[in-house]
Amino acid sequence: MNTDPQKAQYEGFAGRIYFVGIIIILAMMVLVARLWSLQVVRWDEFRTKSTSNRLRIQRLESPRGMIYGRDGLESNVVLADNRAARDLMFVLADCDLAPEEITERLADLVGIDEDALLEKIRKAEKERQPHRQIVVKKDIPRSTAARVEEYAYALPGVFTLVRPVRRYVFGRTGGQLLGYMSEVNRKELDESDGAYRMGDLKGRSGLERLYEDTLRGEDGRMLVTKFATGVPQLRTDPYGNPYVENLVDSFGHNLRVEEEIEPSVSGESIHITLDIGLQAKTEELLKGEEGAIVVLDADTGETLALASSPGYDPGVFVSPRGNRERLDILQGKPNRMINRTFQEVYPPGSTYKVLMAAAALEEGVIDANTTFTCWGRFHLPGVRRPWHCWRRVGHGKVNVVDALAFSCDVFFYEVGQELTVDRIKEWSTKFGWGVKTGLDMRGEVSGLIPSREWKEKRLKPKHPNEPWEYRWYPGETVNLSIGQGSATATPLQCAVLMAAIINGGYRVQPYLNEANARIPEQRLISEKHVELIRKGLRKCVEKGPPAPTGTGHEAYIEGVDILGKTGSAQNVSLKHHEQYETEEDIPKELRDHAWFMSGVMDREPRIAIAILVEHGHHGSSAAAPIAKDIIEYFYASREAPEDLRLASSNGSKTGGERP
Amino acid sequence: MSMASNDLMSAHIRVFNAGNLRRLDIWLSAIVLVLAAIGVMVLYSTTRSTSSETPFYFRQMMFIPVGCILALTIMCIDYRFLVSMAPFFYVALIGALVAVLLVGVEAKGATRWLQLGPIRIQPSEQSKLALIFMLAWYLSSIGRRVERIHYFVLTFVIAAVPAVLIFQQPNLGTAATLGPVVFAMLYAAGCKRSHLVGIVVLGLIAAPVGWTQLKDYQKTRVMTILNPAADELGSGYHTTQSMITVGSGGPFGKGYMQGTQTYLSYLPEHHTDFIFSLLAEEWGFVGGLVVLGLFSLLFMRSLYIARKSPEMSGTLLAVGIVTLLAFHVFVNIAITLGIAPVTGIPLPFLSYGRSFYLTTMMCVGVLLSVNTRKGLFI
Repeated sequence: MNTDPQKAQYEGFAGRIYFVGIIIILAMMVLVARLWSLQVVRWDEFRTKSTSNRLRIQRLESPRGMIYGRDGLESNVVLADNRAARDLMFVLADCDLAPEEITERLADLVGIDEDALLEKIRKAEKERQPHRQIVVKKDIPRSTAARVEEYAYALPGVFTLVRPVRRYVFGRTGGQLLGYMSEVNRKELDESDGAYRMGDLKGRSGLERLYEDTLRGEDGRMLVTKFATGVPQLRTDPYGNPYVENLVDSFGHNLRVEEEIEPSVSGESIHITLDIGLQAKTEELLKGEEGAIVVLDADTGETLALASSPGYDPGVFVSPRGNRERLDILQGKPNRMINRTFQEVYPPGSTYKVLMAAAALEEGVIDANTTFTCWGRFHLPGVRRPWHCWRRVGHGKVNVVDALAFSCDVFFYEVGQELTVDRIKEWSTKFGWGVKTGLDMRGEVSGLIPSREWKEKRLKPKHPNEPWEYRWYPGETVNLSIGQGSATATPLQCAVLMAAIINGGYRVQPYLNEANARIPEQRLISEKHVELIRKGLRKCVEKGPPAPTGTGHEAYIEGVDILGKTGSAQNVSLKHHEQYETEEDIPKELRDHAWFMSGVMDREPRIAIAILVEHGHHGSSAAAPIAKDIIEYFYASREAPEDLRLASSNGSKTGGERP
Repeated sequence: MSMASNDLMSAHIRVFNAGNLRRLDIWLSAIVLVLAAIGVMVLYSTTRSTSSETPFYFRQMMFIPVGCILALTIMCIDYRFLVSMAPFFYVALIGALVAVLLVGVEAKGATRWLQLGPIRIQPSEQSKLALIFMLAWYLSSIGRRVERIHYFVLTFVIAAVPAVLIFQQPNLGTAATLGPVVFAMLYAAGCKRSHLVGIVVLGLIAAPVGWTQLKDYQKTRVMTILNPAADELGSGYHTTQSMITVGSGGPFGKGYMQGTQTYLSYLPEHHTDFIFSLLAEEWGFVGGLVVLGLFSLLFMRSLYIARKSPEMSGTLLAVGIVTLLAFHVFVNIAITLGIAPVTGIPLPFLSYGRSFYLTTMMCVGVLLSVNTRKGLFI
């Protein structure tokens, strides 16, 4: 043992110091080995991780495509576009005032909850994200934005962000056709494979839904280096284009744009044939009623108006307020979501007689001279109960023209018997009845024209051993002959039928999107027969004396060649009506639906109109006057505007005034 | 025990001798300065992302001269005097640690600071050096008696008192550094190997008990290191991001000022505990190797000083300090490489932080002081 305890040296001392050194060197070797493993062996793996760590795709939202329509002679009338919604924002980093000061001023100026905003600012401050964009108020009105602009010097750090928001220029006019939009749900997000993001809007009905893929643009993108915790803060110019210089995140880090920016591509526009002025007029005419009006260009099948009442304003669905209104639209009664022009069916009633007449003439069952005598009732052999004409005293001896003009039931009972149900069905299908007409919209219904096959298919499975249940009875043909019984049709189908009469017998294919235009080629009725039918329908709207007054005389306009056919669609069995003494006593929900189909021969363009007023009772009184208003409005709107004509006449006056 | 005080009485010692400066160890000081310079360079790279009014690198540059003056001052003080004062340091340290537990300032769930007027001190930071001095005093005083079991055990008692107090704060990292220091100093003092092995075996048996004493977050950290991927955003976030940072650096690094991981603040605290990640990201494997080499040189030089010291106390001081620094370096870098639990241990000379930097430079001062007596009396 060492005598001096202060002396370090003892046996093996140096060895122990070396041992400590070896331990340290070994520890350092462990670190070197690990460093080698991370940086050399697994370099690629970590390099990839590091890259995906820092790059972030910043999405640049694309504006939705526009929907254009027409108005009278004007084309390219904007029906749906994108307005610039201004969101008022605040960034603490740009503000040299105390936050309380700012919130107080903002509260005075735009009326916001001061404390809530202050809390948000405090939160950003606490989280050390002074560049975080704090929403002061969403979608501020233009006037407020102007006021904020005016006081900009007193509101440092306050600015507006502009984003496109769908706007329906004409509000509820045509609203059902344009359709509405709402936010995508979780399931759609998952299925869209990244095409949609949380909060995106998607077309839910009408054109917005049908042309979702066309209208929806392609989002732009830019690749930025991203800080671990910050959120990139985009600003926009007044047109909604994002600024990219000075891109910062919520912490204020400068973000680098890594690649060339792919700008967003706006959605494609669509052009529809809808005449928005006419649409507004027709909707107005239906105000307070439930019903539908279809106006077609009789020669092309262009859909000029598809009014359905009641409708709704799709703008409600993109406005920040109006939750209750939305709910009311979606769930209220009567149903505002269906378009009654092609998504609802009604018994066609007497309008069907036009189709019957066309079929009978073409099949040679009748001709211009064929007459039947109407005694007010019709008997089938072996059936005790007679079928009545609506005019109990009868029409006497009628030919096809008069039968149409005065809507003689007995004439068509007779015609129906000779035609047989099979041929009636065949001709109905040709005119687009009982099948879809092919309108380029979602959810068109086909209506129903009964037939032997239909009855057998429907009822045989239920009563396989009772043939009387599914056999076709001659009486059913009688009912079908005047559009009663199980027959149903949409107002659009009526308009297609009417268009054929106007245009000389061609079956038109109605369309709304100009891109779907098709020239009607299929001629169903010969010129000679069409003229006969026209004659009857012309007589229908004639006003006497001297001529006998037709059922559609309320549509009569002096000097215009108008065709028309009234109809009353039986809603409930006649027995219900018999308990009331006068027609006025019948409760509205039990009254018949009023039909009127009409057309104009001698103006350009020739139009076909179908009007249905639910529970309107008589086509002659409830629907025919509407046709008159439509015709007057439509042709007036297509004349050159008044001031233009004035200007030209004035010009000629000053230019060539003569003594 | 009596000999130390006798020395002081006999006035053979000049407590302060500026002449010591002539015996400055060039190797040691050069390595320390190079490491400090590397630290400033790496810190400069972080200024790109940190919008502090005074950048870290600048503040660190201010500490360096202060640290150097401190080291040189301590170098001029005879370490034997300091060793003789060790019991007072020790008692003062225990008092301060108790005070921390009673009236300390709490921050981030731990009570580690004492507020003395305007100054805030962290006694656990000073405890490392104080304990080294205390052990040097004790072990050199008992001399060969260290081979006896009672004296051996008493060493652990001396170390355990501050260790337990620090552990209570809680400050697992600092408490853990004390262990290797005690072992290394006992070993260098010449204790029996069988005693050391025995205590290790005892420790392994006691470990499960110790586990129950850990706070939940400490347990989580230990668990995280076993499987960092299990908890990427929680406690494993640091580990995962640090490994990505280091690994993405590759053999030659992304280049100075070109690091993205740290720049984009994926790796928090990159200027303090994770500065090695930043260095490895920008300078790659080569840079890491250079720094590890410098540290190794530093430790070897220090051990050389320990061996050449004419007195046991000097040897023990040097061994204790080397162990302390090496443990810091190893654990800190092991954390950044994902092979040790995240425990808030800074990297000597490189990490930003005044208090720790000055402690480190005090250690360097003591090493230099020990070196001044090299070759005397032998």
